[in-house]
Amino acid sequence: MQISRIASPLKLLTIALKVGRVTKKYPFGPPLLTESFRGAISIDPAKCWGCGACTLVCPPNALTMRLEGEKIVLEYFKGRCIFCGMCADTCPANAIIVTKEFELAATSVEDLKEDVIHKMSKCAICGKPFVATAEIRDVMKMQPITEEYANICPECRKKRAVKAFGMRFGAST
Amino acid sequence: MKLEERLRGVRRSPWVYHLNSGSCNACDIEILDALTPFFDAERFGVKLVASPRHADVVLFTGPVTREALPKVVKTLKAVPRPRIVVAIGSCAVGGGIWWNTYSTIGGFEKFQGVLKQQGVEIDKVVYVPGCPARPEAIIYGLLLALGYVKQKVSKVVKVVES
Repeated sequence: MQISRIASPLKLLTIALKVGRVTKKYPFGPPLLTESFRGAISIDPAKCWGCGACTLVCPPNALTMRLEGEKIVLEYFKGRCIFCGMCADTCPANAIIVTKEFELAATSVEDLKEDVIHKMSKCAICGKPFVATAEIRDVMKMQPITEEYANICPECRKKRAVKAFGMRFGAST
Repeated sequence: MKLEERLRGVRRSPWVYHLNSGSCNACDIEILDALTPFFDAERFGVKLVASPRHADVVLFTGPVTREALPKVVKTLKAVPRPRIVVAIGSCAVGGGIWWNTYSTIGGFEKFQGVLKQQGVEIDKVVYVPGCPARPEAIIYGLLLALGYVKQKVSKVVKVVES
């Protein structure tokens, strides 16, 4: 009885000595990050089309897209992001990369926002801005379509097709 | 200026109170993880207390559900000045996946409007995103609130050239 009372703390001590120090010295040492850790995303403006596929899959609407005059603004709000990485899987241009950044603490919500501003290209017929310039540029690389066809907005394209169809069946104009 | 002076008194040993306003408990578990010997927030004198009247810093989690709203306001009223709040998790920062649900207020930023109506002033707020926030991120946010480390993020505007 007496021996076990003395021996049991010694047993703990031997275990503690065997394991050693486990505390992470985080702000003064490296953080504990695993291979599969997902942090904040980063959007590459050189690759982004401004198609908005990421805004459709984002579960908490951290990625939103809005029109500001003749500009498309893709807004990323880190404060609402749940770091699922769905946008990186969906992005057709591979512009979104999941980084391992996690030190995102900020004193105001505005500091957590990120804007990607796209220029819009105008329709060759009606002159209305209809799509991001980068999207036309990259789609023309992928698909065999002419610039003449790509620079027309969907409404004008529809009108032109109807007109051509009518002329085939004998309409005057 | 005055706040910095008052913060200096808290810096050595901030006592934290853990306030859950209807979160899913993931952030709460990460807070407990940050306090265990593995990450050991007690290196900075951080101690968990059971009453808001003893607290210097409030660790705030959850998107503030309507059910919890009066209790959360009451609790924050009981915290002595300077009131420092560390809002942890994407729910507490921007509403998370409950950003437009009928039953939540939608994060601490919108909740501050309610607090203003009730006459409760918050001296300093630090937002820690993450779903759930890592224990390191919580320690980093806490140190940012106390002025040990500098803020790394800022608003970024990228313009596409084409």
